[in-house]
Amino acid sequence: MSSEGQEALQLLPEMILLFGAVGALLLGLWTPQDRQWRVRLVVIIACLGSAIATVPSLGGPTERVFDDAWVIDGTTGVVRLLVALTVAGIAALASPSLSGHPRETEAYVLMLLGGLGAIALAAGGDLLLLVAAYLLASVPLYALAGFTKDARGTEAALKYYLMGALVGVLMLVGIASLVLATGATSYPDVAEALPTAPAPLVAVGVLGVLAGVGFKAGAVPMHFWLPDVTAGTTPAMAAYITTIPKIGAVAAAFRLVAEPFATSTLNVTLLVAVIAVASMTLGNLAAFNQTEVLRLLAYSSISQVGYLFMVVAVAARSDLGVPALATYLAGYAVTNVGAFAAAAAASQARTLADWATTIRGQRWLVAGLVVCLLGLVGTPPTAVFVGKLAVFSAAWDGGLAWLVVIAAINTVASLFYYLRWIAAAVQPDPVRPDPQSAPNGGGIAVDQQVLRGPMTTVYIAAVMSVLLGIGSSVWLTVALPR
Amino acid sequence: MTAGPGVLIALIVLPAAVGIALLLTGRRGDRWAAPAAVITTVVALAGAGIVLADRPRTSLPFLGLVDGGDLRFDVDGLSAALVGLVAVISLLVTWFAAADLPPEAARGRFFGFFLLFIAGMYATVTAATVPALLLAWEVMGATSYALIGYRWQEPGKLTAGTRAFLTTRAGDLGLYVAAGATLAGTGGLVLGDLPTAEGGWQHVAAAGVLVAALGKSAQLPFSAWLSGAMQGPSAVSALLHSATMVAAGGYLLLRVQPLLEATGWAAAAAAWSGALTALVLGAIAVAQRDLKQLLAASTAAQIGFVVLAAGTGAVAGGSAQLVAHAAVKAALFVAAGAWLTSLGTKQLAGLRGAARRHRGIGAAASVAALALGGIPPLSLWATKEQVLAGTDGTILRVVGFAASAMSAVYAARMLTVLLARPTGGEPLDAEEPGTRRVPVAVTVVALVLALFAAGLGVLAWPPVAEAFDDVVGAAGAAPGLSELLLGGLLALASFAASFLILRARPALVQSLEDSPLGRWVGLGHLLSARPALAVARAVAVVDDRVVDRAVMGAARVVRRAASYVAQADGRIVDGAVRATARGFRWAGGVARRPQTGLVHQYYVQVAAGLGFLLVLLLVVR
Amino acid sequence: MLLTVVILLPVAAAAVLLTVPRLTGSTATWVWVVASLAELVLIAWMWLRFDPGTGAAGVTGGLGYEVDVQWIPTVDAGYHVGVDGLSLPLLGLTAVLFLACAIWSLRQSDRPRMHAAAFLFLETACVGAFAALDLILFFVFFDLTIVAMYFVIAGWGHGNARRSALKFFIYTFIGSLALLIGFIGLFLGGETRTFDMVALAQNPPLTDSPVAGGLVLLAIGIGLGIKTPVFPFHTWLPDAHTDAPAAGSAILAGVLLKLGTYGFIRIAMPILPDAWQRWAMVPVVIGVISVLWGALAALAQKDVKRMIAYTSVNHMGYVLLGLGAAGLAADADPQARAVATVGAVYQMVSHGLLTGALFLLAGILWSRGRSYAFNEWGGLARPAPVFAALLAVAAFGSLGLPGFASFIAEFQVFTGALQAAPVATITAVLGILITAGLFLNTLQRLLTGTTVVPDDRTDTDTDLTEPADAVAGGATATLARPRRDQQMTDVTAREVLAIAPLLILAVLLGLFPRLLLDVIEPAAVMVTDLVSR
Repeated sequence: MSSEGQEALQLLPEMILLFGAVGALLLGLWTPQDRQWRVRLVVIIACLGSAIATVPSLGGPTERVFDDAWVIDGTTGVVRLLVALTVAGIAALASPSLSGHPRETEAYVLMLLGGLGAIALAAGGDLLLLVAAYLLASVPLYALAGFTKDARGTEAALKYYLMGALVGVLMLVGIASLVLATGATSYPDVAEALPTAPAPLVAVGVLGVLAGVGFKAGAVPMHFWLPDVTAGTTPAMAAYITTIPKIGAVAAAFRLVAEPFATSTLNVTLLVAVIAVASMTLGNLAAFNQTEVLRLLAYSSISQVGYLFMVVAVAARSDLGVPALATYLAGYAVTNVGAFAAAAAASQARTLADWATTIRGQRWLVAGLVVCLLGLVGTPPTAVFVGKLAVFSAAWDGGLAWLVVIAAINTVASLFYYLRWIAAAVQPDPVRPDPQSAPNGGGIAVDQQVLRGPMTTVYIAAVMSVLLGIGSSVWLTVALPR
Repeated sequence: MTAGPGVLIALIVLPAAVGIALLLTGRRGDRWAAPAAVITTVVALAGAGIVLADRPRTSLPFLGLVDGGDLRFDVDGLSAALVGLVAVISLLVTWFAAADLPPEAARGRFFGFFLLFIAGMYATVTAATVPALLLAWEVMGATSYALIGYRWQEPGKLTAGTRAFLTTRAGDLGLYVAAGATLAGTGGLVLGDLPTAEGGWQHVAAAGVLVAALGKSAQLPFSAWLSGAMQGPSAVSALLHSATMVAAGGYLLLRVQPLLEATGWAAAAAAWSGALTALVLGAIAVAQRDLKQLLAASTAAQIGFVVLAAGTGAVAGGSAQLVAHAAVKAALFVAAGAWLTSLGTKQLAGLRGAARRHRGIGAAASVAALALGGIPPLSLWATKEQVLAGTDGTILRVVGFAASAMSAVYAARMLTVLLARPTGGEPLDAEEPGTRRVPVAVTVVALVLALFAAGLGVLAWPPVAEAFDDVVGAAGAAPGLSELLLGGLLALASFAASFLILRARPALVQSLEDSPLGRWVGLGHLLSARPALAVARAVAVVDDRVVDRAVMGAARVVRRAASYVAQADGRIVDGAVRATARGFRWAGGVARRPQTGLVHQYYVQVAAGLGFLLVLLLVVR
Repeated sequence: MLLTVVILLPVAAAAVLLTVPRLTGSTATWVWVVASLAELVLIAWMWLRFDPGTGAAGVTGGLGYEVDVQWIPTVDAGYHVGVDGLSLPLLGLTAVLFLACAIWSLRQSDRPRMHAAAFLFLETACVGAFAALDLILFFVFFDLTIVAMYFVIAGWGHGNARRSALKFFIYTFIGSLALLIGFIGLFLGGETRTFDMVALAQNPPLTDSPVAGGLVLLAIGIGLGIKTPVFPFHTWLPDAHTDAPAAGSAILAGVLLKLGTYGFIRIAMPILPDAWQRWAMVPVVIGVISVLWGALAALAQKDVKRMIAYTSVNHMGYVLLGLGAAGLAADADPQARAVATVGAVYQMVSHGLLTGALFLLAGILWSRGRSYAFNEWGGLARPAPVFAALLAVAAFGSLGLPGFASFIAEFQVFTGALQAAPVATITAVLGILITAGLFLNTLQRLLTGTTVVPDDRTDTDTDLTEPADAVAGGATATLARPRRDQQMTDVTAREVLAIAPLLILAVLLGLFPRLLLDVIEPAAVMVTDLVSR
């Protein structure tokens, strides 16, 4: 078989996703409105297939195919697994809100393509491919953000698009200046040429590229779209938008800092560290008095990116980085989806109070939520705790002890708003609101039931987050065998 | 004998066990309490006999790591004397209590604590290691609290108990420190090693022990609790103030006398505090209106001689004084209790001629009182002279003689009242309705005790004294015949003088106590007694107003400080926490402001943010 | 393996409780009782089979029932558990206290299932924390106790329960994060990077860098100090206690506080010997301040439960004094320092038993009159003699009377610490006088005088009858009520069964300390040796 073919074979997981998308599209065209579940099935199967196809490549030596454009290493493998599985999960999560929707198929297809984009971001070993991946990871999401087509959704999509456009331009500028400075686009060449390159150009380049990935990750100061979009769309979509692209973007940033920018004379570590501090602090503080469920989660995801960027900052400095990234990403994906699923379970309820009144009596749902939120705080033995531990260790190991301290303080701050939701949920119900004389909050709540599907997702996520925490060794041996 | 160690342990454990059992049964055990207690003390007496015969030493496992961490009990001479004393006195007093307690009283609780207390005393006088000593020492203090506050239903009783416990515990702190010093200085916790403690630790230990002992035996400045302790039942007073509790302090000082001597200053301090207490408290005793108060003050004064002995190294004399005083004071308290039950008062005014109302008790009390006054040939005369014989330094000696003279004065003060011919107009039943009868048992007890009080006078006879010295295992400076006579004469003289004067002018004391004019009136007549009474009055006032107030004042200060602390706690420390939380909320509000929802403002902010980052990147290398 | 069973048994029981629907009402609490009884039996069995060894043993060797499974390979954190002379007494204490609380809660009528489940979960967390030999594992259980206790206070507390629970969570969570940072510091400081306590204790990290060692110790010290709590980190304690249910308070004071002190002796001292020696005077001073401050503050309280809470600060102060003195290697010979260490460990146990009993007794007041205010109670010895007797015993035990475990503890702390820190120790001795005063004062105010009880007392001796009732009770708890002389029902058999064993144990351990010392002493000696490296 030709080397081209072999190289193509290396991309089997991506292929499967792609074909899954195309197949789903075609299938969707020929399936009646009420049978769309087949499409969902196809999508989920494609995702699982892609995940399985990833397994053989895990643990192998780092390979750069298509003349260094596409890197296949531990990071890529982790992202492949996570994205594929998470997309499947979110597809299942989204089904209740989508089923019977005229454009159901399109939604699933877009999800697959967005996932593909995320993987491309993570695997990209060439600046130009990075741009392509950026667009691939962005465009489907614009559509998904405005999927509901209501006023809020449309506005959200528009904002998302406009921000994306701006940052995209900045990114291109950055790449252009990098090319000017180094005359190369593939990471190894850039890394080689960077030390001798003129600093201002490099600075603009580094900042532009990082701005791009930072935008996808929702890091400060490129985060503005995140709360509005999250609040504007359905919980399921919000879960997708705050999870999938983040995974890819953080991995991409990690690769950038680890490979091309590592050689630069500039203090990239400090830059990323500052971004991390800004993200976690602003996200936490903004979430403080937040009463809207989705906005609260949006800000919390911003703060989570802050913690993730800690490990990005020391990507080139600590050998603890990659496992930390793997652990934290996995934990974050599971827990975040779980939290959004909890929101989706009572999708009509916008405020915490409404949510609490709606799910009144669902003891297990509350339990699941508590596990997920405490997980986001980083309470042991959940996955995010293990991730946080690894990230803190890596950051300190990379010489950023001060960053660890700030992160710890931020964690305490984050406790406030997570506990606000928990407290609202667990309080022994004072008086059951009866439909007639219920206050506005209760009024919305009482006449609509809790959705089963999302609840199951919450349970799965909660269990997963605990299992992933306790069995993190298993996960690591699977994802990063060596 | 091999039985010895077992018996010794039984001697301590048996009363404790019976006591705890009685406490657990509560009111159900009331009927059996008294017999059980008497039997226990009888058995204990027998056990004590065996223990005296062969001086056992035994040890129970307790703390580890260091030598002397165990509970070690040795019976050397000194211990033997005390064990015998405690055995006899406790038996007699228990018997008295059984007869004296009102039938409806909660006897289970009373005798429970009583036996526990006795066990504590046994352990104290045989303890050879610091843990053993401290254990018994503090248990004694706690049970005394329970016994003094026995009638907790009546207001003020428990308060007296509390004061007693707190005062003695304040002293006990010294023992805790001494324990640490022992470990630091000797590497172990054995009492016997104390004199060999190295360096400064020796002094620390001596100071600690001294404070503890002075507190326990109500020496200055700790004397105040003793008068409060009189709130307890008569039997309790009879036990606490004769052979136990207050005696324990004196005993401890005799026990560690080598340490005091080794430090030098400690011995002098002990001697002086003992002498002064003997003098001052004696003076106070004279000015009391209440028989039990008088006896209490005299107790501190008499123990003062023991402390003095410990200071001057007259261990034999001190222990003799301890034994003799125990008998004397037990007899007197038994008598006072009997009168209180019978006549319903313990005010001297009411007790006028009490000795004539109940002959037996009266006789016993009179003999004991004479002994208390140091009248030859009775016990305390002999022992006191033995103690004073050991004193060197004229001033100290003078103070000692003054003190012994003082004891003659208050003895006289007591007897003038008790032996006077009753007018029939005495205010009876001042405190409680009297029964007008004294049980035979009580009389017997009193007489037996009086017998001891008188008989121990043989200690003045050199052969006996030497024998006792051998028992105690310490050769004291034996008083020469001249000293004995001199002391006896002094006591007799002062006794006779005050007796006659007070007899001639019965109203005198009253007027002296009541009216400020009284001093005037008595001026020309009371040559010998007057200055004593005047000093006594002044000191009595000081004692009530100053020494006692000091304790209360300290308590008040502490309470105020505490309230300040509590406030500070609420405002400052906790306030800081709350302020932090507030700050976070405010910041939370600020942090949401950028989220205006207007895209162009987002653009501006993004541009600004990235601009800042670019500058950062270029400036900070 | 057995140890793992011991750790997981309670949470398993909790799971059963939540999954089997028929286990409602008192049945649920019975499950709890049985579970904690089984726990106690198992731990007793472990105790019997455990050989403390002679001479120095424990901490770095001679561990019993050891299990070591890798957990997070990248940072070498593992599920490493085992028992030695330091953990065994606290494991026993935990089991006893939880059993007592289970019996106490038998009449629990407010969501008994969740109640029992929460406590069982808490029990697993506590047992796990004491058994953990891995820093991260310790931290995991340490944090879980916070979570569980938060739900206990918020769910079944009274008065301003929600706020107190939040304050407790935030405050102690800050502590736990400081702890985590410290642990990471230890991890990165060692030449062989591991979170394993035993390995770290064998060759301690950061020996060559005093500054880093000091900072790491500071982080750990803050974390543990908040939990202990020591001055000035103690203000969460009174609030948490006042609004917590009786059983919750008993566990909080009896077991959870020990996590702090236990952390000092298990982690800070053996793993950071140099830093501990260099900074030993700080714990000593803080300990003394806590002793006096706690005692004085307690003396001024108008609320029984707050008073007891402050005495906890006082008692924990002795522990810190002892441990600090153990670090002053230059000033005292090892024997004395070992004695101080033994005393500190003993104090943890004795304080757990006695304070647990005191809080349950305070719970009786609440169940009778919905009030802890001193001025609403009086003369209780007449209507409730048994209650009075129990309270008196607990009080005398708590003021350190010989014959109680507390004496063994405080005596050894003082005697051992005097040589190393004379001034501090002599100052601290004053604490036992103040404590004596305040406890006797308490007895006098509550038990003697004319009988006074809060007016609208509910006849049930259950804690809360209805959630709504709970809110009502909480709301009115703070209001002063008109007094009326009326009878107060004495303790019930259930309450005696819950409280009496604690006091009996306290006396047994006071009279026959060898029972405990045989286990503690070798380990304490070991710690002292390790500190003075």
